[in-house]
Amino acid sequence: MKSLTLDEMRHAARLAGFEWTDDELAALRPGLVRALEALEALERLPLADTEPTTQYRVL
Amino acid sequence: MSGLCWATATELARMIRTKAISPVDAVQALLERIAAREGVLRSFITVCGDAALEAARQAEAALAAGGDLGPLHGVPIALKDLFDTAGVKTTGGSKILAERVPAADATVVARLRAAGAIVLGKLNMHEFAYGPEGLNEHYGTPRNPWDAAEHRIPGGSSSGSGVAVAAGLVPAALGSDTGGSIRIPAALCGITGLKPTYGRVSRSGVLPLAWSMDHAGPMARTAADCALLLRPMAGYDPADASTSVLPVPDYAGALTGDVKGLRVGLLRAHFLADAAPEVREAVERAARVLEQLGARVDEVALPSVVHVPAASFAVVATEALAYHAPWLRARPGDYQADVRDRLRLGAFVSGVHYVRGQQVRALVRREVDEALARRDVLLAPTTPLAATVLGRAEAAVGDATVDVRSALIRFTRPFNFSGHPVCSVPCGFTAGGLPVGMQIVGRLFDEATVLRAADAYQRATDWHTHRPPLA
Repeated sequence: MKSLTLDEMRHAARLAGFEWTDDELAALRPGLVRALEALEALERLPLADTEPTTQYRVL
Repeated sequence: MSGLCWATATELARMIRTKAISPVDAVQALLERIAAREGVLRSFITVCGDAALEAARQAEAALAAGGDLGPLHGVPIALKDLFDTAGVKTTGGSKILAERVPAADATVVARLRAAGAIVLGKLNMHEFAYGPEGLNEHYGTPRNPWDAAEHRIPGGSSSGSGVAVAAGLVPAALGSDTGGSIRIPAALCGITGLKPTYGRVSRSGVLPLAWSMDHAGPMARTAADCALLLRPMAGYDPADASTSVLPVPDYAGALTGDVKGLRVGLLRAHFLADAAPEVREAVERAARVLEQLGARVDEVALPSVVHVPAASFAVVATEALAYHAPWLRARPGDYQADVRDRLRLGAFVSGVHYVRGQQVRALVRREVDEALARRDVLLAPTTPLAATVLGRAEAAVGDATVDVRSALIRFTRPFNFSGHPVCSVPCGFTAGGLPVGMQIVGRLFDEATVLRAADAYQRATDWHTHRPPLA
């Protein structure tokens, strides 16, 4: 992920139902950039045939 | 009387049953100790002194009447303050729920009371269980009792449970574990903690952090005490659809002390290899102890754990935000800053990220199952480093500088993801006198073997018997 603007963050936050100030968004940005980079890496895993563990009652 | 404070739950249960001591004596001794130490340790949010003494008097009367006694008859315990207790505040370590008084006990609390346990009080924790350091701005961060000079983190999120048990304020406590929250404070405070298999213990009446990764379990000074508590706690609960219908074994009865032929897999890559030298050496020594007891040790790897940090972030951040969204909108200023920021990150996780996380979870679980197909247990350090000084965000691990928060959960979180049972036991001390913990991981629903290995190790070593300076 090359960059993440406050406008992009504000838009995403609004979609989730939150209104945060620029200062609040700026404080989140470093951690969020790291998290999104890590999540992007998951897209490169060969998971097409792996069913997610949505029903978690084991036995 | 002060000797009673260091008795194990197993010893107390036996002494009470044989009338060598009264439950009133045990409760009074611990309440006096709590009053004397809590100014420094801050491990309790609520002490239920009067109710505990009344329950002790009733237990004494029941004993005199010769009634049918439960396995924990008269034994004092304490609860992380996210287990609902009827008529007693259950705050989640938060300001938001500071005045919340549940009408009913959580299932595990009701079961432990039915087994005879007496609840001494509610224990401090990282706010809403969302942090591995054990920080709490509202009730004060509990102090790790192993350093009298500096305030070191107790580990979290079950910080009060770790501190209270380590300091002899209570023989056993309940914790919850979403990314390591039983095992991390157990390791950093030098006690024993068991995260059971997902589905073994009901979560009904337990404040959630992330429903699909939350586990409830016992914390005590010995594996034998964890076994004693687990049996009444475990089993199917119609109020928690994730609980298993499998029968609950006699865990205490499984503690034979015999590990001859036990197949042990030592997790080197991504675990031992990434731990501080003192931690690595302590776990390697522990593996040799098990070998000397007759276990067969080899090395095994879980390569997919490198994806766990990102994948579990997607799962935990999403589930935690779903629970907290109304308060995060209405009362953001009432959260402590680190928890508020962590919750806010969940707003940027997409549905695809969440499902990807659950797919990685399936991958990790399969890999752990495969590693355990030819082995009975796996060994790994609980944390890569010992307790750090409060407020320090970075620390040295060998030649590297690591982020303390990420490092603390690195070795524990894979098994929340996979759901396998894990016991953390003390396995040594750093040169600075801080405890080191080791994880013993078992097959799904095979807590009996995990506890047998942990107990056999504790019969052969004395790390779990050391007492901290602040105790």
